[in-house]
Amino acid sequence: MRLLALFIALSLPAASYAQDGAAAWERIFAVVSHPRCTNCHVGESGRPAWDDLGYGAQRLHGMNIVAGESRIGAETIPCRVCHISAEGPNDVPHAAPQIDDAWRLPPAELAWRGKTGAEICTALRDPDLNDGFDMEELVEHVTTSAFVNYGFTPGAGRSPAPGSTEALAQDLALWAAAGAPCPDA
Amino acid sequence: MKLNVNGTEHEVDVEDDMPLLWVLRDELGITGVKYGCGIAQCGACTVHVDGVAVRSCQLAAGDLDGDVTTIEGLGTPDALHAVQEAWVEHQVAQCGYCQSGQIMQAASFLDLNSAPTDDQIDQAMSGNLCRCGTYPRIRAAVKSAATKLQRA
Repeated sequence: MRLLALFIALSLPAASYAQDGAAAWERIFAVVSHPRCTNCHVGESGRPAWDDLGYGAQRLHGMNIVAGESRIGAETIPCRVCHISAEGPNDVPHAAPQIDDAWRLPPAELAWRGKTGAEICTALRDPDLNDGFDMEELVEHVTTSAFVNYGFTPGAGRSPAPGSTEALAQDLALWAAAGAPCPDA
Repeated sequence: MKLNVNGTEHEVDVEDDMPLLWVLRDELGITGVKYGCGIAQCGACTVHVDGVAVRSCQLAAGDLDGDVTTIEGLGTPDALHAVQEAWVEHQVAQCGYCQSGQIMQAASFLDLNSAPTDDQIDQAMSGNLCRCGTYPRIRAAVKSAATKLQRA
């Protein structure tokens, strides 16, 4: 009986943790699968997208833009030609967004566009596939990155990713504390 | 604020959020750079900042950090830039409105990538629109200029 009580005492928080972790992941996925994120998280092609910007649900970046191996377009036309590195107001629809960082694509292995929750989830918890972040660094990254902040405040004519940097950081911490559980599919 | 354009220092009294394009055209009277769309969709306003192409309609005066070159400062009538020479050789321009932006974009591109493939030329120049449709001549001129710059 005492053993059973101990088992319940231990298993209840564990089950609760797992539920919290799974729920946190669902909220994280709603963010990372949003076009404000997936338009740049495009993988090997280096071809950014303009999904959900008023040009249709599925649309590649105009002007034949390819960021290339450099991820900043150095081989052809650098992102910075149009995307100025400054904290711009971004108050004109269809203009090139600006943030206080050098506009660029994330590394190719951080490919999220068109991927399932399970695929993104397993990549996001793997430092070999998430640009080298452990969980603590990942939380720190989303609270300090101008790119992540932009996703929630993209300016005129662009739907923001759901939530906020603070909420995302909190969910990542919850998810990490629960062992970073991932859905099966 | 102070700015250097084509090697000359200027002092202008403008709001920080005035686009560089306005400063160049309306404050300094440098009109080779053109207004097209105002939202970085056409490339007509392309200038160089420290040698790199920038859409001057997008760059606020207060964010300018470097020396500006416009088409007026790229070459001289006696010593054209290789891209300008190629433009003459291929008689690229039709109405001419977009051409200063096209040339500034091409010059910056070839500075970054001196041996481009045909696909890379198309990618680099696709952000510069030409309502006259001079694209085949633009492509040919960029290839000529690349060859000339490689020999130089």
